[in-house]
Amino acid sequence: MRRRPGIGGLQTAAAARDQYRLLGENVAKLRTDLMKEQLATFRSQLEEFARKHKNDIRKNPTFRAQFHEMCAKVGVDPLASNKGFWAELLGIGDFYYELGVQIVEICLATRSHNGGLINLQELCMLLRQKRKTDREAVSEDDCLRAISKLKILGSGFEVISVGKRKLVRSVPTELNKDHNEILELAQAQGYVTVDEVEGRLSWTSGRATDALDTLLDEGLAMIDDGHKDGKRRYWFPCVSSISSSVGADI
Amino acid sequence: MQKLGDFKLPQFFNYPPYFTLQPVRDTREKQVQLWKDLILDYCKTQHIFVIELEEEFPLFSNPVIERSLSHEARKAFLSALVTEGRAEWLDKGHRKCLILWHRIQDWADIILRFVKDNGLEDGVMTIEEIRSGIESRGTELHGIDRTILMRALKLLEHKGKLAIFKGTSTDDEGVKFSV
Repeated sequence: MRRRPGIGGLQTAAAARDQYRLLGENVAKLRTDLMKEQLATFRSQLEEFARKHKNDIRKNPTFRAQFHEMCAKVGVDPLASNKGFWAELLGIGDFYYELGVQIVEICLATRSHNGGLINLQELCMLLRQKRKTDREAVSEDDCLRAISKLKILGSGFEVISVGKRKLVRSVPTELNKDHNEILELAQAQGYVTVDEVEGRLSWTSGRATDALDTLLDEGLAMIDDGHKDGKRRYWFPCVSSISSSVGADI
Repeated sequence: MQKLGDFKLPQFFNYPPYFTLQPVRDTREKQVQLWKDLILDYCKTQHIFVIELEEEFPLFSNPVIERSLSHEARKAFLSALVTEGRAEWLDKGHRKCLILWHRIQDWADIILRFVKDNGLEDGVMTIEEIRSGIESRGTELHGIDRTILMRALKLLEHKGKLAIFKGTSTDDEGVKFSV
């Protein structure tokens, strides 16, 4: 016989719901506790690891990069704040802030020469020269990390990839695809000619000269009419540092 | 690093575009500044007083990268020095340029120091003695360009520190100091 709904039935249903909710809450709490415990364990393990390998992290750029990678995987950013236990533990925040300041200095100092675009490798080299007093090595990875922190300042620091190389931009120049392709082409010799741009990229001469003129105006290129073949060359200080250009032309 | 004798050349000297006058203003200003510094620095260390535009000059070409400055570029860099008071054209055609790595005022100060160091406060010297005498040996005055020396002496004469007197020929022009 089918029971008709009555007050008792409703009460039973409500009680059951309460029971389920209670149980659910319990399970959730258990899970959270477990999670918290795991996190605490993990954190202490990570701290222990960091403490144990403190010197390696500070001195060895490869190790440092791997440590960063590990932290990123578990969602910890040791650079997120200058306070907190990471900074206290490693002094690693200061390290990157210092790098950041030095990178800004180098970019400003070389801006009139390269128009505010500098090869990451050259930047690293100049950075090492600048820091020669302390023995801690600086890797390109460190540079990139320090630059990514500079972005927060909104000063227009950015890393762009041109071909295989990375360039660091410190002025808000907009480079379009054409400009990038020219820069990429220039990486081989440090310079390009209009003919090369037309030939290699299959562009019309108008397109080539337009793009080259813009790069000139932006201070990213310099003309060279001195070669004996009489063809104008467009040099790009940002892809070939002055110091390494000697070999490029002989 | 490339060298000219014992002179250390700056890195831009090996970068070909620096030998072509740049059309974009900012880039050109930087280029001119680098060349001005280089010319003054080189002339000072090598004790060079006059640059002739048409003549060979070690800074005007770099055989390593096969580049040399055009006449126009040479003139532009030297003119920039002239505008700054660090050089003067010696002729109307702008072919010869006097390089003042010390300004005339600075040369005058050097002469005064030289006079005091040698106890010549009320002594007499000929121009040639100042330029090549034993007293000036080892000082910056040794071998000084005659035009520059005369200008500095006239400045001092104007200030009443000395009197220039003429002999029978230019060879025995002299000065009487009264410092």
